[in-house]
Amino acid sequence: MDEQKKGSFLVDTMVFTKRSIITIIRNPLIFIPNLIISLFFLFVYEGGLSGISQLPAFEGANYLAFILPVSIVSAAIGGAGGAGQALVKDLENGYFSRLLLTPSSRLAIVLGPIIAGMLQLLIQTILILVIAYFLGLEVAAGFGGVVVVLLLTLGWGLAFAGYSVGVALRTKNAQSAQAGTFVFFPLIFLSTTFVPYELIEAGWLKIAATINPTTYLFEAMRSVFIDGWEPWPLVRGFLVIALLCAITITFSAVSASKAVSSD
Amino acid sequence: MDGSILVHDLVKTYKGDVKAVRGVSFEVAEGEFFAFLGPNGAGKSTTVQILTTLVKPTSGTIQIGGVNVNEQPERVRWNIGVALQETGIDPVLTGRELIEMQARLFGFTKKKAKERASELLTLVDLNDAAERPCGKYSGGMRRRLDLALTLVHKPKILFLDEPTTGLDPSNRKAIWKEIKRLNKEEGTTIFLTTQYLEEADQLADRISIINEGRIVASGSVEELKRTLGFDAIQLVFHEPEEAERASVVLNDVGENIERSREEVTIYTENGTQLLSELVRMLDEQQLSPKTLNVKPPSLDDVFINVTNKQKERV
Repeated sequence: MDEQKKGSFLVDTMVFTKRSIITIIRNPLIFIPNLIISLFFLFVYEGGLSGISQLPAFEGANYLAFILPVSIVSAAIGGAGGAGQALVKDLENGYFSRLLLTPSSRLAIVLGPIIAGMLQLLIQTILILVIAYFLGLEVAAGFGGVVVVLLLTLGWGLAFAGYSVGVALRTKNAQSAQAGTFVFFPLIFLSTTFVPYELIEAGWLKIAATINPTTYLFEAMRSVFIDGWEPWPLVRGFLVIALLCAITITFSAVSASKAVSSD
Repeated sequence: MDGSILVHDLVKTYKGDVKAVRGVSFEVAEGEFFAFLGPNGAGKSTTVQILTTLVKPTSGTIQIGGVNVNEQPERVRWNIGVALQETGIDPVLTGRELIEMQARLFGFTKKKAKERASELLTLVDLNDAAERPCGKYSGGMRRRLDLALTLVHKPKILFLDEPTTGLDPSNRKAIWKEIKRLNKEEGTTIFLTTQYLEEADQLADRISIINEGRIVASGSVEELKRTLGFDAIQLVFHEPEEAERASVVLNDVGENIERSREEVTIYTENGTQLLSELVRMLDEQQLSPKTLNVKPPSLDDVFINVTNKQKERV
């Protein structure tokens, strides 16, 4: 018995990640609607709005490349939000307590669904990029640009997963956790979603877009799709994501330590 | 690490000054079968949650197998098996997958985890359902799977929080049989909570009765019945009204009197001596019971008596 008594963080994390992946695969409804909405964004906005890229503010950019980040980022939010949803389910049906009663790493319990969410998000993003490629996407920064976009998406997903896990562990019920995902709307739409900053009419929306971290993510992705290698948008994008991750992961870690040691 | 449990002056107060456990102390020796008996809301589940590292106590010392729960919760988790009242099971995974996963978390290799899962599925008679998602299991099957999950790492101490509540008799008997076997054959220490007197009576070596966060009586089943030192005189009448009148008339006779519909039970120190006087008093009121008998107290009687005494004190 004694040789078994070595808890292994890596094994625990693998076990929890595998379990989350199985759960996602057996419940296609977890990811299919989210993927469809993202592709819907891509097709509808590209189909309906691509004419406006004739405007001088677009500087000759292809509208597909302009709108693609919106589709990618919205898919990422859905994928990352799944991590929180998975934990809420465990909390609600009591399986979470069963896991807490094992000597497994507490961090691994929370990390498993997050890693699975990241993998889901990665596959979704690649799928969206492949579809965009067949629609005629050209990446100015080449293959390296695609890698940058994937990294940005993962960073963003991690930040959102931290947020969704934090909310889940704090509220411990599905409705509240679901309500928490509504930040999706301001994050996606109060930004340079459809047109460049210069073309935004309302002053309040300009202010919102400046504050909204998503704006810097969109700009970073657009720079590699449209302009090639430009340092500033990328630096800003990665900095904003690093900052967001620091905040939301701290939030989720604090929530997790409260949830696992109830007073 | 042995199989003992030591609890000293355990107190748990929740926010808003809700006192769930108000100073509970007890000891369970290795290999002993100990039952915590009490009504809903007595503090049984809270005590189990504290003893099993899920909830932190407000104050008090707890040693599980000689290890302090507050200081080394992880060491405690390696040695205990816990079946909680609300069985939490991931509905998407199959029974086999859940047991294998549980085994992996307890440090089994993949191969060993598979072997253990097969053993346990046979033990709890779930072989036929092993490849089905647990969401499709019946209540009894879930409880059996939960027991299997609890036993994965062959724990020295088992905590079972109302393991048979809501089960039909055949499932209940199956669970009883298995926990008896674990205690007798494998020497597993068992801490069981229950609201069923019959269950405690049938299974436990020793019982503590808990009510409103305090232990009100402790001992072996026989001791409890004896220390009560009471006989129960049971009178059954034809009509509830007769029983009602009788309970008023006989109010001063015994220490304690209980009435439910046609039945009146009087707890008294010496039942046989009191009988003639009792019959005379009933005669005067022209009350004649359908049946009358004197019996040594059952565990039910002990339970009713100690919880009533507590009410009187408050």
